[in-house]
Amino acid sequence: MQLDTVKMLAKIKNTQWALADIDWEAPGAELVTGDPELYAKLKVFMADLMWIEHVGARAFAAMARKAPDDTLAEIYRYFHAEEQRHANVEMALMKRWGMLEGDADNPILPEPNINLRLVIDWLDTYSDEMPLEVLGSVIPSLEIALDGALCKFLLDTVKDPVCHAAFEKINEDEARHLGIGFHVLEVMGHGKLHQLLVKAAGNLLNPKLIIGIAAYLPLLNRMRDNLVKLGLKEERLYEAMNKYKRIGGRTEQGRRNPWFQIISHQSAMVVDRKSLYHVPVDALVRLTDYYPRRWLKATPTWVKGLTWKTAA
Amino acid sequence: MTQYLDKAPIAGRRSRKPARPAAVKVVEVLIVGAGFAGLGSAIQLRRAGINDIAIVERGTEVGGTWRDNQYPGAACDIPSNLYSFSFAQNPGWTRGYSGSREILAYIKGLARDHDLLPLIRFQHNVEALHFDGGEGVWTVTLTGREPIKARSVVMAQGPLSNAGFPSIRGIETFQGKKIHSARWDHAYDFSGKRVAVIGTGASAVQIIPELVKVADKVKVFQRTPGWVLPRLDFQSPEWVMALFAKLPVSQTAVREAMYWIHESMALGMIWNTPMTRALEILGTRFREAQVKDAWLRRQLTPDFRIGCKRVLMTNDYYPALQKANCELISWPIANISEKGIRSVEGLEHQVDCIVFATGFEVSKNGTPFPVHGLGGRDLNAEWSGGAQAYKSVQVSGYPNLYFTFGPNSGPGHNSALVYMESQIDYIVRSIGKLAAGKLKYVDVRADAQKAYNVDIQKRLAKTNWNSGCKSWYLSADGFNSTMFPGFATQFARQMAEFRERDYRLV
Ligand SMILES: Cc1cc2nc3c(=O)[nH]c(=O)nc-3n(C[C@H](O)[C@H](O)[C@H](O)COP(=O)(O)OP(=O)(O)OC[C@H]3O[C@@H](n4cnc5c(N)ncnc54)[C@H](O)[C@@H]3O)c2cc1C
Ligand SMILES: [Fe+2]
Ligand SMILES: [Fe+2]
Repeated sequence: MQLDTVKMLAKIKNTQWALADIDWEAPGAELVTGDPELYAKLKVFMADLMWIEHVGARAFAAMARKAPDDTLAEIYRYFHAEEQRHANVEMALMKRWGMLEGDADNPILPEPNINLRLVIDWLDTYSDEMPLEVLGSVIPSLEIALDGALCKFLLDTVKDPVCHAAFEKINEDEARHLGIGFHVLEVMGHGKLHQLLVKAAGNLLNPKLIIGIAAYLPLLNRMRDNLVKLGLKEERLYEAMNKYKRIGGRTEQGRRNPWFQIISHQSAMVVDRKSLYHVPVDALVRLTDYYPRRWLKATPTWVKGLTWKTAA
Repeated sequence: MTQYLDKAPIAGRRSRKPARPAAVKVVEVLIVGAGFAGLGSAIQLRRAGINDIAIVERGTEVGGTWRDNQYPGAACDIPSNLYSFSFAQNPGWTRGYSGSREILAYIKGLARDHDLLPLIRFQHNVEALHFDGGEGVWTVTLTGREPIKARSVVMAQGPLSNAGFPSIRGIETFQGKKIHSARWDHAYDFSGKRVAVIGTGASAVQIIPELVKVADKVKVFQRTPGWVLPRLDFQSPEWVMALFAKLPVSQTAVREAMYWIHESMALGMIWNTPMTRALEILGTRFREAQVKDAWLRRQLTPDFRIGCKRVLMTNDYYPALQKANCELISWPIANISEKGIRSVEGLEHQVDCIVFATGFEVSKNGTPFPVHGLGGRDLNAEWSGGAQAYKSVQVSGYPNLYFTFGPNSGPGHNSALVYMESQIDYIVRSIGKLAAGKLKYVDVRADAQKAYNVDIQKRLAKTNWNSGCKSWYLSADGFNSTMFPGFATQFARQMAEFRERDYRLV
């Protein structure tokens, strides 16, 4: 299925929304704050979710630089901003539910966990150098996990209508992100198969990418563990990953994209508890807990751009 | 786009003098516009002995660009010694790159010293031009006034004279103040105000450092970052001014030197050469030196080849962006609301005033007003696929009509006035031919025009402008009818030759 990116861009521009479109004072917050067990769970979950959106945003910024044409570059510029908007909305929800530390008018950003910090570090240092094939194939898998598992879980668990109103908007954006994501996944499967393979193999040997993978895999495992602790059914993740495989692989071109193959195999392993994959990766998760903080770069300024505010 | 004409007279408010009987008088040359090009043409026509000239100007003052662009910080980005007429040098420039007011004073001086004011009819807005092939006469239709007839017409209405607010969603709902860079409102006091600036082009980079000094908060909305190079501005020492005044040849020498420095820039700016890389390295180093934060630097990094769009020459733009009261916003704009600008990351940036430094409506695919030539042919229609002319000054089928800043005459690296002077000389020559030969008209041959354009487009294909970035140089479908693909020297050489065989003399 070829998608008309020009029409898509027009649609994106026509369907913009802002934080101010949501009534943050509407009743319903007590549905979260009145349930201590849910509250504690959600506090961790929301912070992780917010950071993932934010990391996704940075990836789109890198992709905008790599896009093969102006339309796609502009679409990625919008997606970059939209992911930032999602992170802002999630921060605003946390603010609404009193989950942010610091004083009420000037709350502080929750700390990202160490695996997020490592991914942020990597994105900040190397993402602009990565070929579109790599990010363009990883992003849809992350998005589908977000869309299919995390957001559904959130909406199943939380009854606050403001949260539902906000995610209705977010999901509309995400549907378009996925549309473009799978379109690009297919486009990247064009060309001679052996050339695609040689190129992918070459990229895989790139030490910068290897560092990125070493940062990314433990993040996925940690997230999965956190989610399961919160009560997310593992089948949900499993379904989401199957969806990536199904949609990404619905055309010949999609299947020929070596990155699609790599990622669908890898995500199948992530969701399969019994896979041997987890032995080294879980070890990495534990190892990263001991990662010396002073080895981390100073937090890049783009990280500080998040806000719960509707106006500035 | 909301386009507004500069002080156009209201239809019906005619001049108090009784209307002259029509078709009595035919002016020898009518010039549209009293900017650099219009006034320069008049001066040189007179020198050639052509005195029956009328200049129609829709505004109330001479100066064009420099009358309109009075925003704080407005200045030329080509050294003043070069951004002035070679036949009217000014020893008194106080700066390397003079400010708008000083340039305007220079233009007013031109009009005064050459006694041009009696020729100018202010508040005369041209609405259309029609050519009568039988008589060989142009009829110039004016807003709310009797038409004027002329043998020849020089269209010197300026490439960048129509300013309008861009069509951003919701712009009409904004309750605060809106100011366009080319229509500055000097009565508006910026002190203590929250201001948004839309655009980061040549005007914006001059305005922003000034606004940051007075406003409470300045938010700069950027779509595409451009290349920035340092500008070597300096105050002219007294002795230099004195020397130039006493010994004009010394100023001519400086002018020559500057001309060649700018010509050599063409090597890097127009074509992709090792010099292009060198300029890009210079730009990158400059950015690294001036911008500390890595993310801000990334936001300000252009993703196109240098020269593809106008290079920004400024030393104080980057420092201004990093002032505590200034913020660069590179999120796309979703829409304008009652209180400010909503960007796609979901925030409403509330401001008291929006400054639009969004440029001009450049007619790449048409004429600014209807122009009808031989047999009623319509230039607007002929240009719908991209404007074309012969050596930028004339179009086949539109006899005795001349353009300054016509198609493919724009410089990217040198003073516009250098190009303008060679166009003016050419125009004077052609009009001289008409007068001397007692001809009805001179018309370029269609085949000569075609051959010229085939060549131009072939040469343009190899330039940086056509290397894949969007700019006002290109039409929406990427046709370049704006720039001249070569050195100013090549342009001058092309204009120095008048090939009679390329014309039909009637
Ligand atoms: C902010 C700014 C900075 C610039 N800096 C430089 C620089 O540093 N170096 C450089 O080489 N170039 C520069 N330029 C380009 C500049 O436009 C030219 O150099 C030059 O001033 C153009 O002169 P002009 O006479 O052709 O047009 P203008 O100065 O625009 O004059 C045209 C005149 O025609 C009048 N007019 C327009 N339409 C009509 C009509 N229908 N009827 C009657 N009258 C009409 C207008 O009112 C105006 O007075 C700059 C342009 C801008 C906007
Ligand atoms: Fe998102
Ligand atoms: Fe997304």
